[in-house]
Amino acid sequence: MDDNIHDVIMVGAGPTSLAAAVYTSREDIDTLIFEKAIIGGLAAITDMVDNYPGFEEGVEGLVLAEKLQKQAERFGAKIELGEVQSVKKDGDMFVLETTSGQMKAKAVLVGTGSEWKKIGIPGESEFYGRGVHNCATCDGAFYRDKKLVVVGGGNSSAQEALFLTKFASHIDILIRKDKWKASDVLIHEIEKNDKITVHFNTAPTEIVGGQVDGMQKVTKVLVQKDGEASEIITDGVFVFIGLKPVTYFLKDSGVELDDFGFVKTNLKLETNVPGLFCAGDVRSGATMQIASAVGEGASAALSIREYLEDYDRERKPSDTENK
Amino acid sequence: MKKITVFTTTTCAYCGMVKKWLDSKGISYNVVNLDEQPEMQKQVYEKSGALTVPITLIENDDSTEEVVIGYNLSRLASLV
Repeated sequence: MDDNIHDVIMVGAGPTSLAAAVYTSREDIDTLIFEKAIIGGLAAITDMVDNYPGFEEGVEGLVLAEKLQKQAERFGAKIELGEVQSVKKDGDMFVLETTSGQMKAKAVLVGTGSEWKKIGIPGESEFYGRGVHNCATCDGAFYRDKKLVVVGGGNSSAQEALFLTKFASHIDILIRKDKWKASDVLIHEIEKNDKITVHFNTAPTEIVGGQVDGMQKVTKVLVQKDGEASEIITDGVFVFIGLKPVTYFLKDSGVELDDFGFVKTNLKLETNVPGLFCAGDVRSGATMQIASAVGEGASAALSIREYLEDYDRERKPSDTENK
Repeated sequence: MKKITVFTTTTCAYCGMVKKWLDSKGISYNVVNLDEQPEMQKQVYEKSGALTVPITLIENDDSTEEVVIGYNLSRLASLV
């Protein structure tokens, strides 16, 4: 087969595609995965994954990502570090414009997952990467013995705040609503950690900075707490307020999205474009769990196998034509 | 010959990806772990204006420097 033509190209090397690739490559389906950021996706930058079956003591996100990658590569899946810029169906082939050149595939799996939402308040963009962060495992070490604010009331916010207590002297968690959306286990861990203060009914309105030790740094967060303006002194802000799907490269694909921008599929995880499949966090109705992403990856792989069998059967010259 | 330094922290997965990409291209580089050398943080900030990792510093033959903030493959590829 031409180096640039594949049975299936998977976009995004998170748990979804890596699980799907175990199945497809194990059945000799020529599988190429594109990843523009990190192999393992958001799972890889999670400090500890406690709810993935089979790891009774939990597993570090990076370790889980490496295991998934090795398992997929063991059966022959190839991972290309690069970006898919567009996907379009041309006849019975998909054409993908990528940073590695044009690629073609009989089928495509969209497993791009999601990325962190921004709060959208003054100071957030200005201080991004120098006081405002989304990756605790990357940047937490800059805040040894410092005060931090964590924004968000879900599992990620709770889990990352707990990780950040390894470094920070104190953490204020800001939750817009009057209760957590996180699991009870995490809430219990937060409640017994004396480094953490939780502020319900509290929304940040501005991130403010100034000169500290010769560097322009975050100094405080302005908030509305119970409807009243207030401020919290801090050295940095970590934001975990939810995820948005990564679909920009599907603009010209004709694929149908739901009202929130997630990709719509049928029960076989196929989109309205035949041969274009979607699974994991980017799919409409996804549960945003690593275990379900892996399960959806496996299901998508089986649907892709069926699609490719039909694809090859329909294009195989018949015995009559051969005579 | 260009001198490349990757500034990392111990648990930074994106830093691992930068190193993996440089390895795949056969490009040699130095690593500075800012967990272990926190005194380097200010120097990195002065060069990059950022307090985040990975930061990749590329020192050219003519003594000019380029900085890549974060995991930005397309920019990294154009500079190394």
